[in-house]
Amino acid sequence: MSSSRSETSSGDSIRIELLPLGEILSAPHGTSLHDVLFAKGVEFPCGGQGRCRGCRIRVIEGELPLTDAEENLLSREELEAGWRLACRGIVREDLKLDLAQWETPILADDSEFSFSPRDGLGVAVDLGTTTIAAQLIDMRSGKVLGVRTALNSQARHGADIMSRIEHATARNGQEQLKRMIREQVGDLISKLHTVPDESHPPLTEVVLVGNTAMHHFFCDIDITPLAQHPFEPVDGGLKVFHASQLGWELENDCVVRFLPCLGGFVGSDVLVGLLATRIHEQESPQALVDLGTNGEIVVGNREKLLVASTAVGPAFEGARISMGMRAATGAISGVVVQDHKLQCRVQGSVPPRGICGSGLVDAIAAGLELNHIEFSGRLAGADTLVLSPPVQLTQGDIRELQLAKGAIAAGIRILVQQWGEMPGGLSRVYLAGAFGNYINRSSAQRIGLIAFDPDRVYPAGNTALRGAKLALFDDTPDLTSCRDILEMVEHVTLNSDASFQDIFVEELQFPS
Amino acid sequence: MEDLSQLQEAVITGDATVVREVTEQALAAGHEPLKLVNEYMTPAMDEVGRRFETNEYFVPELLLSARAMKAGLELIRPLLIASEHPSAGRVVIGTVKGDLHDIGKNLVAALLEGAGFEVVDLGVNVDPQAIISAIRENDADIVALSALLTTTMPSMRLTIEALQEAGLRDQVKVLVGGAPVTQKFADEIGADGYGSNAVAAVELAKQTIAEGR
Repeated sequence: MSSSRSETSSGDSIRIELLPLGEILSAPHGTSLHDVLFAKGVEFPCGGQGRCRGCRIRVIEGELPLTDAEENLLSREELEAGWRLACRGIVREDLKLDLAQWETPILADDSEFSFSPRDGLGVAVDLGTTTIAAQLIDMRSGKVLGVRTALNSQARHGADIMSRIEHATARNGQEQLKRMIREQVGDLISKLHTVPDESHPPLTEVVLVGNTAMHHFFCDIDITPLAQHPFEPVDGGLKVFHASQLGWELENDCVVRFLPCLGGFVGSDVLVGLLATRIHEQESPQALVDLGTNGEIVVGNREKLLVASTAVGPAFEGARISMGMRAATGAISGVVVQDHKLQCRVQGSVPPRGICGSGLVDAIAAGLELNHIEFSGRLAGADTLVLSPPVQLTQGDIRELQLAKGAIAAGIRILVQQWGEMPGGLSRVYLAGAFGNYINRSSAQRIGLIAFDPDRVYPAGNTALRGAKLALFDDTPDLTSCRDILEMVEHVTLNSDASFQDIFVEELQFPS
Repeated sequence: MEDLSQLQEAVITGDATVVREVTEQALAAGHEPLKLVNEYMTPAMDEVGRRFETNEYFVPELLLSARAMKAGLELIRPLLIASEHPSAGRVVIGTVKGDLHDIGKNLVAALLEGAGFEVVDLGVNVDPQAIISAIRENDADIVALSALLTTTMPSMRLTIEALQEAGLRDQVKVLVGGAPVTQKFADEIGADGYGSNAVAAVELAKQTIAEGR
C-alpha cells in the first residue's frame, strides 16, 4: 500500500538523504545546498555567508569539495570526520547528510519527581532510535547536575528501526552497531561526568532505557528474531554490566543497567514511562501514547496493562509533507479559524516558508471546520489548501497525515477494545515525547488522532528519561519497581487482531 | 438504460447495495452478463483507479469500490462460468513469510477480483511451500507477493528460489509489491514485475496475462 512514495531516478535529479529522520529530498544538479536545506527549516545564522559554523553538516555518503571558509572555520579533525558548512555546498552527486543543528531540540526532562534519596551520583540515559538524552543526577538531592543530548550515531545505517535491523542482519552490521552505540553513550557519560568534583559523591550507577532493538544492539543480543514475525525477543531481560565490560573508563567501574523490554518492539522506555505516569497504580484505566515515528501505546490500570507498537512514519515531524519542515523559524506551527478564515502562527518574525507537525494537525482540523476538507480527507473543490502563501497543503499531504493518524487511532481503539469493559472510558491519556508537548489537544481530537476530550489529555514530556531517573532510585538488586510492572503487562500484536483492518480503514477517515 | 449508468456510478461511489440491486434487475431484464462487466463495471473500476492515482480517492474509498464491484460480480460470475467464459487469469496472492501486514495485499486481491481474476488469497506470513502447493492445486498464472518491511523483503527472494527448485518458475509470472519494494529490488530477485501501488499492480497483472496469451 505505497500510495505516494515517489522514486527519483531521473538523470539530473540528485538524491539527498537527511539524517536523523531519513527524509529524502531531490534537487536539480548544481543547486546550492543552502536553498535545499533552507526550505526544510535548517537555519543559517550568518545568512549563509560562510562566516559562522551554525549550518554544520556531516557528509556520510557522497562528497562535497572543501572551500576556504570551511578550512578556516572547521578543525582538521572535523574536516576529516566529514564536517562541512551547508551554505558552501553545491549539489553534484547523491548525498547522505547529518545535520548538527538538529541535535538541539531533543527533549530532556526538568520536571520534579518524588524519590527516596540514595548516596552517589547516577546517570539516566534515554537511548532512542533517533535521539539520545542523558542526565547526571545527584541521588542525595535528586538534583540534575548536567544534561547531554545527541543524535544516535547509528542513524547513518538507517533512519528507522527496521532498516537498522536490516543493516545488522543482511549486511553483518550487528557488531558495528553495538560498537557505535556503546562508544557514543560512553562518550556522552564521560562528558557529563568530567573531572570528579570534590563536593560530589562518586558515580555509582548508570540506567539505560530504550526500545527492544536498542536494548539488543547495546547489550549485544542477537537481533535476528526482531526481523521477522513473531518479532519476539529471545532475551529482552534486565542486563547488568560493569562500565569496563562496555569499554568505558568510569569512576569506580560503576554498575550499568539496561532495563528490561515489555515485548515485541516495546522496550524499557515505555516500561519506565509507566513509572513516570503511574498508570499501573490507578483504579480507572488510563493510556500513555508516544507519538514517535514508531508509535507506542499503553492502555490499562493497576490490574492489567496492554501495550502495542505501531508504525506511524515521520509525517508528524514534517517529513514526507510537501512543504513540511521542522519546528524552526518560518514554520507554521499553529493554525486557528477566525471569522471563517485560516489564521496561521509562524515561528519568528518572518514570512512563512513551511509547516511543522503541530501546524499540520491544526491546519487539517481548521480545514475540516471550514469544510475545505471532507471527512474522507478529500479536498473540497480545490487542488490545495492554501494556508498562508506560499505555504499550502496538497491532497497527498493530507493522505500522509491520514496514514499516521490512522495507525495511532486504530492502535488505541484496539487496545481499549481488548482491555474490556471500561465504564466512563479512559480517565487520562498521557502524550509522551516532544510532539505531545506542542500538539494542540483540541485539534488532535478534531482530526481523530487522540479522540478524547482535551481535559483528559495530558502532555507528559520525556517520560522515558524521567522514568529512567526514577529507576535510578530503586536500589533493590532486581529492580522490584520495574519487575512488578513487567508482570502486569501483556504485549499485543495489532496486526493479529481480526478487526485491525476494518478499524484502521475506519480511522483513516476524519470524524464527522 | 438509465439503470445501467446507475451501476457504473454505484461502483465508483462504493455503494454495494445499489450495485447488487441494479445488477439483479439488469440480469432479470435479460441484459448480457458480460456486457454489464465490460461496459459498466470495469470502466467504473478504471475511473476509481484514476481517482486513486490522483489522490482524490484513498484507501477507504478504494476498498468500498472493490467491495461494491465484488457484490455485483458474485451475481454475474456463476452465469459467466455457465457460459464457459474464461476468467481474466488465476492469481495466488500472499504476504511473504515473516510479515503480517495484509491491508495492501487485501486491497490488491480485491481489485484483482474486481478486474475479473480468480484470486486465491493465502493470507499473511505465507511459507514458500504453501505457495507452491497453491500454484499446483489451482494451476495459477500469476503469483503476487507482498512485503511491508525492509527485513522481510528477503523472503520474496527465498520464495522465488523455492519456485525454481520446485520446477514451477517457468509456469508462473511472479509480481511483487509493498511499500519498501522497488523496481530495482524486483529485478535483483528475478521477479517478473513490480507494482508501485494496488492500482498499478492490477494493471501489471492484466498486462502480464495479455503478453502470455
